[in-house]
Amino acid sequence: MISRRVLCAAFGLAMLGAGAAAAETVRVGIIGPFSGPFALQGKNFQAGIEAYRALNGKSVGGNEVEIIYRDLPTANPQQARAIAQELVVKDKVQYLGGVYFTPDALAITPILTQANVPLVIFNAATSAIMEQSPLVVRTSFTLWQTVTPLGKAAIERGIRKVITVVSDYGPGVDAENAFKKAFPAAGGTVVESIRMPMQTNDFSPILQRVKDSGADAVFAFLPSGPPTLGFVKAYNDNGLKAAGIKFLASGDLTQESDLPALGDGALGLVTSYHYAVSHDSPENKIFVEAARKAIGNPAELSFPAIGAYDGMFVISKMIEATGGKQDAAKAVEAVKGLAWISPRGPVSIDPKTRHVTQTIYLREVAKDASGQYINKEIESFPGQTDPGLVK
Amino acid sequence: MSETRPLAASGRRWPRDVIGLAAIALAGGAGYVLFPDSLAFLTRIISIALLVLSLDLLIGYCGIATLGQSALYGAGAYAAGIAAVNGLTDPVALIAVGALAGGVAGLLMGAVLLRAHGLPQLVLSIAFVQLFHEMANKAASITGGSDGLYGIAPGPLFGLFAFDLYGKTAFFAGLGLLLLVFAALSFVVRSPFGMTCRGIKEDPLRIRAMGIGVRPTLIKMFALSGAVAGMGGALGAIATQVVGLDSVSFELSANALVMLVLGGFGSLYGALIGTVIFLGVEHEVSAINPFHWMTLVGVMLIAVVLFAPRGLYGVMTDAVARWRGRP
Repeated sequence: MISRRVLCAAFGLAMLGAGAAAAETVRVGIIGPFSGPFALQGKNFQAGIEAYRALNGKSVGGNEVEIIYRDLPTANPQQARAIAQELVVKDKVQYLGGVYFTPDALAITPILTQANVPLVIFNAATSAIMEQSPLVVRTSFTLWQTVTPLGKAAIERGIRKVITVVSDYGPGVDAENAFKKAFPAAGGTVVESIRMPMQTNDFSPILQRVKDSGADAVFAFLPSGPPTLGFVKAYNDNGLKAAGIKFLASGDLTQESDLPALGDGALGLVTSYHYAVSHDSPENKIFVEAARKAIGNPAELSFPAIGAYDGMFVISKMIEATGGKQDAAKAVEAVKGLAWISPRGPVSIDPKTRHVTQTIYLREVAKDASGQYINKEIESFPGQTDPGLVK
Repeated sequence: MSETRPLAASGRRWPRDVIGLAAIALAGGAGYVLFPDSLAFLTRIISIALLVLSLDLLIGYCGIATLGQSALYGAGAYAAGIAAVNGLTDPVALIAVGALAGGVAGLLMGAVLLRAHGLPQLVLSIAFVQLFHEMANKAASITGGSDGLYGIAPGPLFGLFAFDLYGKTAFFAGLGLLLLVFAALSFVVRSPFGMTCRGIKEDPLRIRAMGIGVRPTLIKMFALSGAVAGMGGALGAIATQVVGLDSVSFELSANALVMLVLGGFGSLYGALIGTVIFLGVEHEVSAINPFHWMTLVGVMLIAVVLFAPRGLYGVMTDAVARWRGRP
């Protein structure tokens, strides 16, 4: 008898599931740099998404989820708008995700309400994007968020005077402003601020100024890749490391995919960030294994993958809440305040700003047991919201 | 082009012009019917087509070497964007602002570029666009810097048609603008002024000997070219509601040149064809394979340059000539 009742229930459930499965294929449009100079970041988006699908299946609540990738190699708002519009109107996607650059995100936000589509940002990190549409949710970070804890951490390490050196563009200026607010608030002094033109290749004169400024440490921000490599090399060559001037930065500068190229010169660099591939937790072990399989070359895995992985989690929760039906407002409402254990640690979606609240880690570049360069976490600052959004 | 075609206008060209404009309108209509879901992309093509047309005016008709054309496009885009953010919402007025800003930037660029010839001129043009790029990046409080200028909310066109998700208004506004500009340019390039420009391209010394000022003529063309590029930029700003630093980048200038060479310079139709083919192929191929599409586009470009050095429009006119039994 009991077995018959169970069977009946199982049958009923199966029917329900089948009904839902027959009802909807939910399409998700992912926009990212899958070719060109930033292809590695796009590849990490893809790895994060595929890791999520490998671990959690390709359907949510019986609804098949289909991913449509679209390439947007560099910041190009016109192209971003054209691609997003096509995904919504032609491919009938219910969700948009990805987006590496801020201008692209800003070009997509104006169409969300009319399209009835939420946008889950996996990277684009300027605070102001969130204010442009109530249908934006972000699972990455902002520079204000990652840099702010560095002020207190620097004081704890006996640093009193800091000179800031940043590349002269949006994120660089954000990083400078965040540090210049956080560090004096913790009791330190910013003795000088230098903004370098984006095309700077010869850092020696700048590092000479750093030396002459009498600061205990330099806070730096440059776009990751070749400029960072050059800057770190110049920091060593000009004897700053030998002179005991410490190096502080946002974790963008020491992303895992750049570490092998930075080599021993990077050892001891102190950065703050929301995710290190070497983060020690069971969730992260599972994620890293799946993501490394997805990306092919394990050394290429870095932070955009975690934004994409958690972004897919958020989108899945949205699909669950709406039962596969298109209802952007309900979907976003459902994830406000959502809290879960991500591979990066405990995170939640701030109901007010829709930006991810997370632990920011202080890390130091080190070698692990197998001789790989890693960002070793040495301190954590839990529950960080985005200070850039607090008015 | 000029080797195969006599310089002087042959007879009345009105019927041919009307046919040409009708063909463009028809192509636009076909685009609307065939790709009703990609209107934002079609609008982008129109916006870039105006840039490529403006580049053709300088390269194809005056023989000026420039890789800085997007400075003029960007000037129009930012001027329209800044005006919109500060409360000017009428789309027609915004296009006018773009044209004006582009024209002024064109005058400036002409004044600088005409100091040199050939390679130095090319280098100056690159410096010019880099300078504009850096200015837009530095003046972040006005231009939004690398985050882009946002908050552009154009009002309805003629007070009737709102700019919406599907991009119908932006598309038809763009198509109308393109037809107007194309008609005007067809007239200009055959006017005595246009003829003088072509003459300067062939033999500046001779034009000077005829008592015509070379520099003033070319500067006028720079202003005109700037106005056309500026309108393209303004259209992009209105349709996208965001202006990014990419609109004043060297890459955009270089891409515009590639499109022009692809279509065939020295003819307005070539500029249009090149833009449509380049952006169309890029768009389609990158949608089919978002990860390795650049290789395919590269191969296509090499093939065109090798086998059709006069561009696709050149191939087409040759084919037509052969079909009519003329060599």
